[in-house]
Amino acid sequence: MADSTLLTVEDLSVHFSTSRGTAHAVDRVSFSIEKGETLALVGETGCGKSVTARSILKLVPEPPGRYASGSIRLANPDGSSTDMLAAPMREVRAIRGERISMIFQDPGKALNPALTIGRQLAEVFGEHRLGMILERAGLDPDKARPTARRIAQQRAGATRRRVYSLTNRVTSRALQRSIDEAVMAALADTGIPNTRKIMASYPHELSGGMKQRVMIAQALACDPDLLVADEPTTALDVTIQARILELIHEMQQRRGTAILYITHDLSIVRQFADRVAVMYAGRIVESGRAIDVLTAPQHPYTQGLLAAIPRPGTPRGQLEAIPGSVPQLIDPPAQCHFASRCKWAAPACSAAVPRLLAVRPMHETACFRYESAESVGMPQEDMPARIHHEGATAE
Amino acid sequence: MQVRDYLLRRLALLPLIMLGVSIVVFTLTRFTGSPVGIYASPNMTPDQVAALEARYLLDEPIPVQYIAWLGGLFRGDFGWSGVSVAPVTDVIWVKIAATLELALAAGAIAIFVGIAIGTIAGVRQNKWPDHSARLFSILGASTPTFWFGLLLLVPFYLWLNWFPLGRATPDIYDSVTHLTGMYTLDALLNANPVAFVDALRHIVLPATVLAFGAMATIVRMMRSSMVETMSEEYVDAARAKGLPESVVVKRHARRNALVPTSTVIGLSFGFLLQGAVAVELIFRWPGLGQWVSSAILAGDQATIMAYVLVTAFIFMTVNLAVDVAYAYLDRRVVLGG
Repeated sequence: MADSTLLTVEDLSVHFSTSRGTAHAVDRVSFSIEKGETLALVGETGCGKSVTARSILKLVPEPPGRYASGSIRLANPDGSSTDMLAAPMREVRAIRGERISMIFQDPGKALNPALTIGRQLAEVFGEHRLGMILERAGLDPDKARPTARRIAQQRAGATRRRVYSLTNRVTSRALQRSIDEAVMAALADTGIPNTRKIMASYPHELSGGMKQRVMIAQALACDPDLLVADEPTTALDVTIQARILELIHEMQQRRGTAILYITHDLSIVRQFADRVAVMYAGRIVESGRAIDVLTAPQHPYTQGLLAAIPRPGTPRGQLEAIPGSVPQLIDPPAQCHFASRCKWAAPACSAAVPRLLAVRPMHETACFRYESAESVGMPQEDMPARIHHEGATAE
Repeated sequence: MQVRDYLLRRLALLPLIMLGVSIVVFTLTRFTGSPVGIYASPNMTPDQVAALEARYLLDEPIPVQYIAWLGGLFRGDFGWSGVSVAPVTDVIWVKIAATLELALAAGAIAIFVGIAIGTIAGVRQNKWPDHSARLFSILGASTPTFWFGLLLLVPFYLWLNWFPLGRATPDIYDSVTHLTGMYTLDALLNANPVAFVDALRHIVLPATVLAFGAMATIVRMMRSSMVETMSEEYVDAARAKGLPESVVVKRHARRNALVPTSTVIGLSFGFLLQGAVAVELIFRWPGLGQWVSSAILAGDQATIMAYVLVTAFIFMTVNLAVDVAYAYLDRRVVLGG
């Protein structure tokens, strides 16, 4: 792992057992994220991009899900790395919200309707910044009484908190103030006005854009190294989308957070991503610098995807579309999943899985059109029409 | 709307509903026969019987009889209880206290145990705790109260004699000053541990039997709403914050799962009052249920009508409390309408 690499996903497979068989939602996916960079994971609904994102935080429910293979290694400051999939749950929890955090597609669903905004943000501080909370309340973190610690963690029951506030009126108030201040600072950081009022509100009292700001404040509360943004603007009004994206971008500039965008919106990729990985039917079919992939797509699927974007000059009713539909992911055959929809498909495409191959510097694609018959071990007549690239090498 | 305004409005409606209940209960009981039957005896002369009938205005139309009865209620005269051989108002408080004590104990068991089992079942969906919880709730919903009562009586009373019948040991019961009429509570208020243990020994079995059916409903509801909330995105979001699973389950999933369950809890209180009749008969618990069943057999209309009015009142109060609790648990609920 290079020094600048933050997260390395290697050979990740996530399977779901269903009544009809095993669904290969994520199939041997590998990618890495550098410190501070923005990687966009692009693909259509059901291609496995959300599952990949959730795997990074080990949030895929087991069962029915299962991490069938691979590793997700997060680089630690001391040069070692932690495999999220193999690490004990205690370590995973310490990383969640602290070093890797996540914002979800629909902020209306990702905030608990029964708890105030302030309470939900306080949880993050209680879990990861307990020492800071106690210290600011004038308590020695090493000597604080268990009840005070628990109250700072917001875990104490209402009764216990009341009893404590009777016996330790001053400390109790100082603790609450310390928590409130941390929460308000986090909210104010995302440009939320009137933080004291927002803090006391319930999620349903806020607008969608405001809720997503709260989610961002919550995700960035502990200054994480990586922010996983799972379609953060899909559920929002178009007018709000741009502002939320700019906010995320601005926070990234200020804090140097790396971002993994999960999206199907290619305009987000164009605007904000450094690199992009295109997923299709559980596999990465193409990856490279955003500008390269968008201007010179190599994989037939990416080409089709980009051709499908309507342009101002496109006549009505004449949108490009990729023929056919996405194949079933349940017990899939070992072949190129795009073969059934690809105009270049040849017998080889249905006989083996193409590997990711560097066709240009920092630009990889998984397509037999870039392979020679010898390297694949297939007869020449079974191969699709070849595209030659100078210096094309296997990864 | 403010919770306070809503409460006031509901409280203002209460007397109107009670008036409706009184009309229905009076009319229905009058259909079952003459109200004086219980007071008359074969030794009475025709004149005496006629005087008795005149006292109940039986020559007048039913509405007039109703008004006279209602007027009595407002003066605090609920009539003469034939089965208790005393004015209804003298007996009823003791009976209400006894039944409320039993129902509250059963309710507490049903709510706490039901929510606990339902939570575990919902979290461990389709694993063995879930399967046993479902078996448990099917048993609870389909076992008749009287049969389950007898089933527990045989080992715990007949063989082991751990839990005696009735409500109290008379000597110990008399040693306590009865402030509330609820024996368990009075024993505590008197700081009398002997009486408290005595009260517990008497209440455990009937309360468990009574709780069983209600618990089954609560378990089922709690399980299914836990299954639902555990798959909500905010539960994953809570995990993504790094919270331990116990906090995720308790603070995030369970709290929201309690919202639909609270409705069921309110409804099951009616079930408890109804089940109390059979349980009180089996365990010789001197409460409303035992009282009204002997009144029904004897045709004691004053007692029956008082019972229905009291039960209706308790039921409505509990429902009101549930509505308020609902608004507290789910902040999106706007009380009103």
